[in-house]
Amino acid sequence: MSPVDQRTTTASSDRTLVSRSRREPVNRSEVLLEVRDLDVTFARRGGRATHAVDGVSFSVRPGEVVGIVGESGSGKSVTSLAVMGLLPRRGVQVRGEALYRGRNLLTMPAGELADLRGSELAMVFQDPMSSLNPVVPVGTQVTEVLLRHSDISRSEARDEAEDLLRRCGIPDPGRRLREYPHQLSGGMRQRALIAIALACRPALLICDEPTTALDVTIQAQVLELLKELVSDLGTAMVMITHDLGVVAGLCDSVNVMYAGRVVESAPRRELFEHPRHRYTEGLLGSIPRLDAPRGDPLQPIPGTPRDVIAWSAGCAFAPRCRHAADDCVVPDLGLEPLGRAGHLVRCVHPAPEDPQDLQDPQESRGVASGPMAEPSGAGGAHALAAADAPVTTTTEGERRG
Amino acid sequence: MAEPLLQVRGLQVHFPIKRGLVVDRTVGHVRAVDGVDLQVDRGQTYGLVGESGCGKSTLGRAILRLEEPTGGTVLFDGQDVGALKAEPLRLIRRRMQMVFQDPLSSLDPRQSVESSLTEPLGVHGLAEADRAEFGADSARSHLAKASAMLDVVGLPRGSLAKYPHEFSGGQRQRIGIARAMILNPDLVIADEPVSALDVSVQAQVINLLEHLQDLLGLTYLVIAHDLAVVRHISDVIGVMYLGTLVEEADSDDLYARPLHPYTIALMSAIPIPDPVVEDRRERILLRGDLPSPANPPSGCRFHTRCPFRQPTRCDDEVPALREVAGSPGRRVACHYAEEIRDGRVHVADPHLLVEPTTAGAGGRP
Repeated sequence: MSPVDQRTTTASSDRTLVSRSRREPVNRSEVLLEVRDLDVTFARRGGRATHAVDGVSFSVRPGEVVGIVGESGSGKSVTSLAVMGLLPRRGVQVRGEALYRGRNLLTMPAGELADLRGSELAMVFQDPMSSLNPVVPVGTQVTEVLLRHSDISRSEARDEAEDLLRRCGIPDPGRRLREYPHQLSGGMRQRALIAIALACRPALLICDEPTTALDVTIQAQVLELLKELVSDLGTAMVMITHDLGVVAGLCDSVNVMYAGRVVESAPRRELFEHPRHRYTEGLLGSIPRLDAPRGDPLQPIPGTPRDVIAWSAGCAFAPRCRHAADDCVVPDLGLEPLGRAGHLVRCVHPAPEDPQDLQDPQESRGVASGPMAEPSGAGGAHALAAADAPVTTTTEGERRG
Repeated sequence: MAEPLLQVRGLQVHFPIKRGLVVDRTVGHVRAVDGVDLQVDRGQTYGLVGESGCGKSTLGRAILRLEEPTGGTVLFDGQDVGALKAEPLRLIRRRMQMVFQDPLSSLDPRQSVESSLTEPLGVHGLAEADRAEFGADSARSHLAKASAMLDVVGLPRGSLAKYPHEFSGGQRQRIGIARAMILNPDLVIADEPVSALDVSVQAQVINLLEHLQDLLGLTYLVIAHDLAVVRHISDVIGVMYLGTLVEEADSDDLYARPLHPYTIALMSAIPIPDPVVEDRRERILLRGDLPSPANPPSGCRFHTRCPFRQPTRCDDEVPALREVAGSPGRRVACHYAEEIRDGRVHVADPHLLVEPTTAGAGGRP
């Protein structure tokens, strides 16, 4: 490439990652990663083993974003660590299959997996401060990946690293390369981490809560960067998050996890418009929305994520579910197709498909107290809520749980 | 309405930077809070939002004088909190309490719930209103009040003998709330009351805070970074940026029509859990990071990142927090608030404007 060419490419691609692609055009229908019946058990000395992930299956195609949503302890991060082979060997049992282009990552020899990780598979972790090495300059950490996986010289790697940081939106990358992680702000550290993950243009990127530690305006920048990556390079992405807002804007299909199992899986529009599992429905009802009318009390899910029963005994969500009945205590409830194509639900009493039925109790309450009720009026709403819904006030919920 | 419960005028909190990394010297100040004016009416909930490092927590602490203000006054019920000597300050503290973000670190791990809840009663005594119900101050009446308080926040009475580690995050936050409310305060400052909790538990605590406000007639100052949460519980919202208030408005107006460029960008950056809305939204990205509060930019503090920045005036002249003509009841610190509202000033750099896409990231519905 002549010097002139180089300059024009850099100028035109300052904001996009498109021109980086030296890879063959991606076949978007090929299944890149297929996880089948992934099962992770942590053995505990002197205690019962913890079944952290229990029969999770999903697949990702190039240019597709698959979301895994769940609260802390739902097994979403363990799923990603298991796929990447990053769980410790001792005391951990991983079963099932994770096929990347037909090769099982879980049984692959360590050397082969190490070749894939960082080049074709990459991961962005939640906390950039603890996943960057604090005593090594950022530049060295970026070039390390390049030197390990591609056949280039140190100076070429340095130029490439500078280019990467610039594309990830880090101003003055030449200086930043020489700095240590603590000298970078949180947003910049996360960008550096993304730059490291993107260094070898991975085909599959796993993001584990990549924006949770960031402020919203920085989160918007990082999400925009990830979107660009997926749409321009055709990277396949697994997005692990607890933030339903992030999922709504980014993911093509969503898996909702609860207590180690996927409880609902659907394309994103379908999931948000017709949540069928009671947990998904409850989650959507319990988060305040920026664009919703104010005044209605939130509908919390009673109890805490710790109040579970084993899936082998019955539905793990039953102890917190408003619609739980005796028939929910069925061992190993299946993830069944329900309603529209591609919608899978693990629930005995799924929410009705027509959302009108869901909104009914809320509407009657809105009429009674008025949406803009005075503080005293809101008190009335509380009393009403307690009267017409089975378990509505927080206090009762927690006592039950 | 009568005199506001809390009036803050020109409050400043500057932290001295005592030494550099290499040479021993005093180098300037971190202006964590730099001239904030606000007032909170009785029974109202005032929400304070801003990103990390904008000084919102420091402001909350300075109002309670947990942090000594460098300048400005805090009037609580007409009394100048900053001028109070130790004993009157101790007496007034029973009327202003705080709920902290992380209940695990704000509760003493070696103190039982009973001890945590009765300690404030031991210091201040029962509130006047509670004397009738529980009798004069004594260990027995304090215990009775503590267990009644547990009922109010929805914890079983048996919790009194337990220790913080035996509870879940949501329950611990309930203990923290019970401890703050046990003295029947007038003002409660809640600093990120739900951000450490699981999504499904946040709603329980938000509802509890609202319920207690109705029950006890409290005035809240809620500090949080999550605008959706703040908007849900607040009547009035103040948006902070780098130590100053940039916009203050009724919480419905603020969402319907943000006027300050920072608020506009902040609003557009908050993800909404609805794909239909997400796909239709226009996003305004902000460049770079928050500048250092030790060396804030000249003129408007936001001008280094402002997508609407206009030549010279924004760089040179500090905008005052002023009422905006045609939008009653709101205060905005921007020279061009009217022009931006009326569409006469646009986003300068098209790269910062992300147009709505027709489909999701992967180009599929």
